Amino acid sequence: MEDLAQSAVNYSTSLGSTYAEARVQKDLGNSTVMKNGKPQFSGFLREAGIGIRLIINGSLGFASTNNLTQEGIKDTILSAASMARFAAASMKKPIKLSNLKINRAKWEVKQRHKFGSIDVEKKIKLLQNIDKLFRIKSDVKFPSRILSINENLREQIFLNSEGTYITSKVPRVSFLYFMTAYKPSKGTAQRFNKKAESSGWEAILSWDLTEFVSQEINVLASILTKAKRPPRDKTDVILGSEVTGIVCHESCGHPFEADRILGREAAAAGESFVNMKMLGKRIGSKTVNIIDDPTIPSSYGYYLYDDEGVQASRRELIKEGIINEFLHNRETSAELGIQSNGAARAISYDREPIIRMSNTYMDKGDYNQQELFKAISKGVYIKSFMEWNIDDRRYNQRYVGLEAYFIKNGEPKYLIRNPVIEMTTPSLFKSIDAVGKDISFSAATCGKGDPQQGVPVWTGGPDIRLRNVKIGEA
Amino acid sequence: MSENELSSLVVKEGKKGGAEDVAATCVTEDVKMIRFANNEITVSKAWLLSTINFMIVFKKRVAIASITDLSEGSIKKAVHSLLEIAKSTKPNREYERLPRGPFNYISNPTSESIQTSRLVEYTKDAINGALSIGAKRVAGTLLFNNINTKIETSTGASGYDIGSSLEISVRAFTNSEASGQANQCARRERDFFPSKAGQAAAEIAKEASNPVEGKPGKYNVILGPNVFANLINEVISATSAFNVDSGLSFLKGMLGKRVASSSLTLIDDGTITDGINSRAFDDEGVPTRRTEIIKDGILRSYLHNSSTAKKFKSSSTGNAGWIVPQPWNIIINKGHDDFQNLLSELDDGLYITNNWYTRFQDYRAGDFSTVCRDGLFKIKKGKIDQSIKGLRISDNMPRMLRNIHLLSSKQNWIKWWEVETPTLTPHALIKNVNLTKSLM
Repeated sequence: MEDLAQSAVNYSTSLGSTYAEARVQKDLGNSTVMKNGKPQFSGFLREAGIGIRLIINGSLGFASTNNLTQEGIKDTILSAASMARFAAASMKKPIKLSNLKINRAKWEVKQRHKFGSIDVEKKIKLLQNIDKLFRIKSDVKFPSRILSINENLREQIFLNSEGTYITSKVPRVSFLYFMTAYKPSKGTAQRFNKKAESSGWEAILSWDLTEFVSQEINVLASILTKAKRPPRDKTDVILGSEVTGIVCHESCGHPFEADRILGREAAAAGESFVNMKMLGKRIGSKTVNIIDDPTIPSSYGYYLYDDEGVQASRRELIKEGIINEFLHNRETSAELGIQSNGAARAISYDREPIIRMSNTYMDKGDYNQQELFKAISKGVYIKSFMEWNIDDRRYNQRYVGLEAYFIKNGEPKYLIRNPVIEMTTPSLFKSIDAVGKDISFSAATCGKGDPQQGVPVWTGGPDIRLRNVKIGEA
Repeated sequence: MSENELSSLVVKEGKKGGAEDVAATCVTEDVKMIRFANNEITVSKAWLLSTINFMIVFKKRVAIASITDLSEGSIKKAVHSLLEIAKSTKPNREYERLPRGPFNYISNPTSESIQTSRLVEYTKDAINGALSIGAKRVAGTLLFNNINTKIETSTGASGYDIGSSLEISVRAFTNSEASGQANQCARRERDFFPSKAGQAAAEIAKEASNPVEGKPGKYNVILGPNVFANLINEVISATSAFNVDSGLSFLKGMLGKRVASSSLTLIDDGTITDGINSRAFDDEGVPTRRTEIIKDGILRSYLHNSSTAKKFKSSSTGNAGWIVPQPWNIIINKGHDDFQNLLSELDDGLYITNNWYTRFQDYRAGDFSTVCRDGLFKIKKGKIDQSIKGLRISDNMPRMLRNIHLLSSKQNWIKWWEVETPTLTPHALIKNVNLTKSLM
C-alpha cells in the first residue's frame, strides 16, 4: 500500500504538480440492525482505495479510485490533473498551502476487544435484550423502534511530496436508537440519539446500554403523558450538556471554519456571519470558553494527525467570550499567513480533506448543578432536544427541547413539552451567565462538503445558564 | 472480470454455500466534479470507483455487504464471510423471497462521455452568466456522472443499465446577505444550460439586495421549486414503507385517504427518459415503473420492495432498496397558473426561493421546521415588495399539504445538496404557513 501511495505522489509530481499527497485508506465496518424487535439485517463493509490531491499551475485537483493498480491510479490522476490544468488557465489566484514541518508518525487507538471479535449472535442478543425494555407496564406503547450497533476500523497511510509520512489505525463503535412513544389520547413523542466512541467493543460494554435505554424509555413516556405547555414569557434557561454541545457545534464550530469564512463552501454548506476581522472581538459573556479538541482520548472525533499530515491540537475558539481562533487547513492558513491548526478531515479515501470540527465543547466553569438552579426563581431547563436547525451563516438558530422542565424556586418542578429557543448566535452567547463544572459529551455525525462527508464528532459541555431568554412553543 | 461476471460470481458462490436468495449489484462510477467559489474554480475532482453490493439470505436470515476489492479471491472470501454471518443471525420473519425472473427491462441508455475541458467551460459559463446579471460573487458545483449498474439475482433477474448526467448548482451573491440559488440537471448535454442557472441565481440575488428583518406570523406563501422539492422529498420519504413501519412517517394508516389538497399529484418514476436517476431495475431486479403515490390529494401507494409489500399486503412498486424502499425520480404534476397568477393571489404574503436544514421534532406527527435561505421576499398586492431575511418555516407537514392552494404550470427539475432525489416541480402557493424567527 505504501508503494502505491508513493508511486501516486511520484506520478503526480512527474506530471508537473508542485505538491502531491496520497491517502491510502482501508475501512471495515460491521452493522446489525433491529426494527420493532425483529432483526432486519447484519452485514459488513470492506472498502479500500486511494485519494490523491495535487496542485498543478496553482490549481487543486483531487483524484480517487479503488482500482488499486498502478494503471488504475494513473488513469484517475491523469483525469484530475487534466481538469486542474484547464482550470488553472482561468485562475487569477493560485492555491497555496501553508508550510508544514515534515512529520513522520504512527498513531493508533488501542482496542481491548479487537474489531470483528464479537460475533453477530452476541450483538443480536444485546439488541434483543434492549428491545425487551420497551415492553413496559404502562399505557404508553412504543410501536416503532430501530436499534443498531456498529463497529468500524479505519487504517490509513498518508504521505506527501514534502516527505511527511503518517500511518494510523482507529476503531470506532456506535449504538443508534430511534423510538416512538404513543398513547392514543396524547399522540406521539420521538427520540433519536446515538452513543459512540473511538474504541473497541469495550466502549459498548462500558455504556451499560440496558440501563441507559431503560432511562430513555421512562423519560420519553413521561414526556408524552405528563408534560405541560412551556411558559411563553422571558425567563431564565438552563441548557443541559446535550443542548450546550449542539450549540457549540452549530453556532461556534461551524462559523469558525475558515473555509466558510473565506467563501469556499458558499454553494452548499454556506458561509459565516463571522469574518477574519472579528478575531479578538467579543461575541459572548466572559464565562464562555469553547474548545475544539481532537486529542481527547477515545472521543468519537479523535485524531492525532489530520488528513493533511498536520499534528492535531486543542483549539480555543472562544476564550472568555472573545473570538480567539478559527479552524484551519493548509489552504486557509496560507491565505492568512499562519500555520494550519490541523482541522482537515476526510471521511473516506474518496473524499477531499476539508476543514471539520472534531470534539467541540464548552469548557467547564465554576458552578455545580445546585448552584446553577438556585438562582432561578422561574425558568426552564432544557436537557435534550430533537428538532434543530440554523441558517447557513450560522446566525439564527432554533432548538426544540425534548426532555425539559419548568423550574420554580431553584428546582425543576414538572416536565414541559416542546419549548423552543429561537435566537441569534451573539444573543445566545451573551446571555450565558454561569457555566457548570461537569462536562459530558454526545456523539454526532457532522455533515459538510460536496459530495457530503459525515464525519464523527463529539459535542458537549456542562449545563449552562442563560438569563432572560424568550421561550417559544413548537 | 467484467461487471457481468462479478455479479454472477457472487450469485454462484452464494448459492453454492446454501443461500436461499442472493442478489448482487456491481456499480461502476466515472464521476467528475468542479467546485467553484468567489468566481474561481477551487478544486477539480475525478473518481473511478467500482463496488459490489450483495445480499445473501439463509432461511430468512438477511445479510448485506459492500466491497471494493473485486478480485475473484476477495469476492469468494466475502461471500463466504457473509454466508457465515447470515447463518449466525436470526430470521427476519418479514423477509419475502426475491421475485422470480427473468424480467424484461426497457433499456433507456443515455450514456455520454464528456471532455474535461468542456466541464471547465461549463463552469465558466455559469460564473459568467451570473456576473453578467450583476452578481458580485459566484459559487457552485458542477457534476458529471457516468454510472453502470449490473444486477444478478439467484431467482433469475439479470440486467445492465448505463446512464450519464450533468448537474450544476449555482449560488450567486450581490453581497453577503443577498444571494440566489439555481440549478440545472440533464441526462443529455444538449439539454444542459449552466449559464441559465448562473443567470437565474443572479436574478434572485439582485432582487434580494438590502434585506430587512422579516416578521413572524401566518402567511400565504409561494414556495419556489427548490423549497417545494425539498419538502416533497420529505413527503416521499414518508411513503417508503420501511419508514411507515418505523415511526418515520406522518402517512401511516392513510392509504386511500386524503393527505393533501386535490391540487397535489405525486409520482415516482424510474423509467422517465430525462430523469437523471432513472434505472431499468431496482435492487431486487424488479423492473422500475411509474407509480402514482398521491393522486389528487389521495394517498394511493407506499413505495415497496418485496418484503415491505408482503407486510402491507401489497405488491412491489420496483423501489427496492433491500431494506428501505427508495424513490427514483419524483414528479409533481403541474397546475394551471403561471407564476404571475400565483403572485397576484397574494395580497400580503411571502415568496421563498430556497431553504435548507429541514428537521423534524416528530416524524409521526409531521412537526418540523426548515430555514429560508437566499432570496426571500415580502409580496404585497401581487408584487414583490421587499427583500427580507431571518425567517424559518415552522409548521406541520400534513397541514401544509392540505393547504396547497395552487401549483404553477411550469416545472423545473431540481437536484442539489438539499434535494437528494431529482424532482420535477412547479412553484406552489400554500396558505397559512407558519413562519418564525429569532425572538432575540
